[in-house]
Amino acid sequence: MLGGCVSQPAMTYQASIDNTEVLLAHPTGKLSVGHVDAAAGVANAHLSVRGSELTGGSDGTFAGYLHDALTTELKAAGRFDASSATRIDATLTHNELDGGAVKNAKAVLAARFVVSKDGKTAYDKVLTASHQWESSFIGAVAIPAAFQNYPAAMQKLVAKLFNDPEFIRAAGMGPATTAAR
Amino acid sequence: MIAIRLEARFLRAAFVAVFACLSLSGCISAKMYVDPGLPAVAKADLPVAPHPEPVQVLFEFRTKGNANAKATARIAPRVISAATASGLFTQVSNTPQDGAGILKIVIDNVPLTDNAAAKGFGTGLTFGLAGSIVTDGYICTASYSRGGHTTETTLKHSIYTTIGNHEGPKGLTAMEPESAVNLAMDQMAWNALKQLADKHAFD
Repeated sequence: MLGGCVSQPAMTYQASIDNTEVLLAHPTGKLSVGHVDAAAGVANAHLSVRGSELTGGSDGTFAGYLHDALTTELKAAGRFDASSATRIDATLTHNELDGGAVKNAKAVLAARFVVSKDGKTAYDKVLTASHQWESSFIGAVAIPAAFQNYPAAMQKLVAKLFNDPEFIRAAGMGPATTAAR
Repeated sequence: MIAIRLEARFLRAAFVAVFACLSLSGCISAKMYVDPGLPAVAKADLPVAPHPEPVQVLFEFRTKGNANAKATARIAPRVISAATASGLFTQVSNTPQDGAGILKIVIDNVPLTDNAAAKGFGTGLTFGLAGSIVTDGYICTASYSRGGHTTETTLKHSIYTTIGNHEGPKGLTAMEPESAVNLAMDQMAWNALKQLADKHAFD
């Protein structure tokens, strides 16, 4: 009743325009996406919002959702190559979706990203993204809003990686240019 | 004491009745009306691009500034269809292509009615008798970039939604929600292309 107590998978990840533009600005370098998992104790199968549950992506886990996010973003910018020797691996270290607040809800996501080149580690950093949105005292509004905003939080986490100059250098993506924008 | 018990029982029964009615939701209808402000644009209204090029379309739907993955997935094919049907480009894709320009379109849904959810909730509590009307605003920002040159344009659109017993805006035709949203999104995509073309973005 009233759409409460539902369980639904996170929406298929969509590339963010901002992330695509950042990647397009760097003319070279292609990457593969390797192993993505979740640290012990991190909610990896479902997140609860007022009694309703958001479940992970295509493989039912949020680590899988992060894998999908990285792959989707790289493909949208033509920077994905499954056979590339430059590879991103990641571990989801924090996965929080707080849609219980009456006014402002938030999601906080963190992951350890490792970039390796021919097996050698070129980048190893934990990045955190926080995302807020307007919630409601009405569950039928607050729950869908929380589920809708989780992908946006994931976009922000991936944006932290793509906007890190150390990542750009490690990935061999070359200096930024405005030619493609 | 008996009166208090009866009152509590009555309130509980009334709450369950309202709860049950809201859960049915089908008993309260929503109608949508597309604002007539944007002109109808078709391929014939666009200039012929002298040197058409391939294009990569980047599209994102946002709700109050935040990316909305569900709406993006639903609307993106319509935007790509409009770009394809416009005849302004040799090839249209959402992935990079050699020598392609970049058409970027962002549509942000900005509710123009305060407390829209509370209004709808109130309509539900009165079984639709106290109807309400809410207005959704859409800000479409479009740009075309190629060879280091970028042309931008912005346009606005609105959809009015009546819930329950409330008259729609005068002179506008009531539509099913899906049809209204499709029409408004198509109008924004076509008008954005027209405005960019008028600014010689594709010359």
